Amino acid sequence: MPERARTPAPARKRPAHRGRRPAKLARVERDRRKSRRTRLAELSEPLQWVRPAEAAAPAPTRAPPRRLHVLMVGWEFPPSHSGGLGVHSYELVRELSRMGHRVSFLLPYAGEYTQVPGVEILWPGAVRPRRAGAAAPGRRLGAYDRPLSPSDGFLESVGSFTEWVARFESEVPVDVVHVHDWFGTEGGSRLARRLRRPLVFTVHSTEYDRSLGHPWQEILEREQLGLRQADRVIAVSKHLKQQLVERYGARADRIKVIYNAVRAPERVARISPERPTVLYLGRLAAMKGVDTFLRAAAQVAPQLPDVLFVVAGEGPEYPRLLALAAHLGIADRTLFLGRVTDEERTSLLARADVFVLPSVVEPFGIAALEAMASGVPTILSKTSGVAEVAGHAFAVDFWDIDEYASRMAELLSYPALRHTMGDLGRIQALTTGWAERAFETVTVYFDAIAGHRAGSGR
Amino acid sequence: MKIVFYAHLHQPWRLARFRYLDLGSGRSYFDVERNLAIFRRIAEQCYRPAMGRLYESLERHPEFRFSLSITGTWIEQAREAAPDLIEQLRKLVGTGRVALLAETYYHSLAFLVPPPELEEEVALHGRLLQDTFGVKPAVLRMTELAYSDELARFGASHGYRGMLAEGWEGVLGGRSPTHRYTSSVATELSVLLRHYRLSDDVGFRFSSKAWSEYPLTSEKYARWIASTPGDLVGIFLDFETFGEHHPASTGILEFLSALPAAAARESNLGWATVEDALTSPSAGPFSAPVTLSWADQNRDLGAWLGNDLQRSAFEAAKKAGLLVRRTGDTQLLERWRKLLTSDHFYYMYLGGHGADLGVHQYFSSYGSPYDAYANYMNALTDLRDRALEELR
Repeated sequence: MPERARTPAPARKRPAHRGRRPAKLARVERDRRKSRRTRLAELSEPLQWVRPAEAAAPAPTRAPPRRLHVLMVGWEFPPSHSGGLGVHSYELVRELSRMGHRVSFLLPYAGEYTQVPGVEILWPGAVRPRRAGAAAPGRRLGAYDRPLSPSDGFLESVGSFTEWVARFESEVPVDVVHVHDWFGTEGGSRLARRLRRPLVFTVHSTEYDRSLGHPWQEILEREQLGLRQADRVIAVSKHLKQQLVERYGARADRIKVIYNAVRAPERVARISPERPTVLYLGRLAAMKGVDTFLRAAAQVAPQLPDVLFVVAGEGPEYPRLLALAAHLGIADRTLFLGRVTDEERTSLLARADVFVLPSVVEPFGIAALEAMASGVPTILSKTSGVAEVAGHAFAVDFWDIDEYASRMAELLSYPALRHTMGDLGRIQALTTGWAERAFETVTVYFDAIAGHRAGSGR
Repeated sequence: MKIVFYAHLHQPWRLARFRYLDLGSGRSYFDVERNLAIFRRIAEQCYRPAMGRLYESLERHPEFRFSLSITGTWIEQAREAAPDLIEQLRKLVGTGRVALLAETYYHSLAFLVPPPELEEEVALHGRLLQDTFGVKPAVLRMTELAYSDELARFGASHGYRGMLAEGWEGVLGGRSPTHRYTSSVATELSVLLRHYRLSDDVGFRFSSKAWSEYPLTSEKYARWIASTPGDLVGIFLDFETFGEHHPASTGILEFLSALPAAAARESNLGWATVEDALTSPSAGPFSAPVTLSWADQNRDLGAWLGNDLQRSAFEAAKKAGLLVRRTGDTQLLERWRKLLTSDHFYYMYLGGHGADLGVHQYFSSYGSPYDAYANYMNALTDLRDRALEELR
């Protein structure tokens, strides 16, 4: 994903109230955003069908007038990333930089990361940032595919990253420290305390979910630490926020829900393959519910003899899923593609007729939003965060195999359904982009800064 | 000035969840228990109290008169869920001051289906009214107040003396909806128009606290009607307005009760049934080259056939109908007709004006229009397959 060089965002006119408390600025911006949102809602009414519980999509706004230096602690960054966290990090810093903010991004290991203008990527041992080969390569860690037991030095490497983050010396004054998920919470909160700056903590998923109920105590503690220490918490869905409140005892009034978004995909001609295709695209982990996908496929297969089921992605469940497909008698109808490149991903989405997100646990589910943005009608697990924002899709209980099967068959059998859901889903997915999500994040930064100054942030 | 007050009684046979995997399983398309449970709830909140109040008003105010339309599916469900309502209706009709209207038995879009569907459904409904209430209506209304010149021809050729239509500026061309008109294509057929502003004041706005006229009292409302120039004011509403769309807590039932007395205090106000109104002087010809309805802000058929889902479902229903008719199987025909009920298509509405969307979601029995479409298509596909099997 090469990044085009961008001219820096033009300097914005300083409003008369500059110099007053940022909280007020944030409030002013919030109010403006509200009135804008109302107007936009009026304009986009024909497209507005949403599940009744869902709120109106926030509207794009201009950047707040103050530039911030954000010190962000992450885990993975494109081009090599395995989950929503990497995408979120990349798109967020890209938009922040476009809005005129400065970001220093701390990562645990060396790599040839995608460059973003205005964003400095750093890792332990890096002499100068962004100089390939200058650092001793750190250990490569996948986002959620952590080892099965704590014994093999995994936590030690997290520990050394923590020490590095906590002692980090920034050449430029920092306004806010922002950590993503558990691994940066200890280092991030120590750093924030040392610098006397507010801490923002984004939760993309929880240890309970990643471990399907068998959490590591060490990781839980770091999550709890983050929730306790952070001035403000961001959750990627309402469902996740509720979990943070109920399972972790976090304060609801400090948690803001900011959904993920998707970038408009390059226009690829929709391909109508000879054989209709139902696609799963994601990691092959237990929490993803790929076995439900296969079991549902086995029910559809005899009814619709041409249909092909495609499973794209890699992960620990692969051998088991392969055996399951054989056991279900659909081995000849199911393609396991393994890991796919970005180009392959685009082409898969261009030829898929139905996309399925069968997750048992899914804090958000960016892949489904990508499928919708590509115009593929989508079946979502009701537990996914994306189901909270995507009305133009089917939503199914994760355990209801018959319902998944029926929804697949219905989309495959009724062209009007497929086309209408595909078209409107695409518009819905693209209505709110990363720029709006980044703006919401900046609002949280200002809230955190104001709360921190007022001394009520803890 | 006569108030032509008319209320519409209808409940559809809602579908059960009928999955694609249920095709050929022999499962029923309709969730009878759920439908009856809904009916009982509405009977409790709306039908029983509102009918009681209307009867009291008839006893207390000899000048009070009104009209009702009752669909066949409503009567079917009432017989099962609340037979006392049929008795109550007989009492109302027995006063001689309540007129009933003719319409399609299944509250269907039969008028868009190849003949003889419309004719048969209207006849079926006519027999039901004759058997249940001993009444033969003189005025016809189409599902959702649909009206067009073509439908006027149908009405006139089947012996009806009047039809109802929406009093919409688009077709009135500057004339007032407060007169009787005659069809431009069938001069013997009267057209009675709905005064949509005054009707919606009660139907939609009554309980809205954001409305500048809130709260609406019967005195205020009677005064508005009295100050409206013309011969007739058509207040056409869903019967469920009284206790269901606006719950009893909003005071809607008291409003209904108090209206005859409030009207009596205005010197120029009286009441008329749709049949009484046929003798009002004609204000000229009324023409509707395209079909009008009383729904949404466009007053067309967009609420039922406005998007691809709705149109494709309706086309599929028409095709299935041809097969079902060929089988001559009356059970299949009945099931098909229940699927022709307009409500099923209404649930597949995807969007439009903001206000309309809220109305559609209120009435929908599904979580989403996609659910509604898929479920409907499954049931219809199953029905078609059965017809094909019988024809084989």
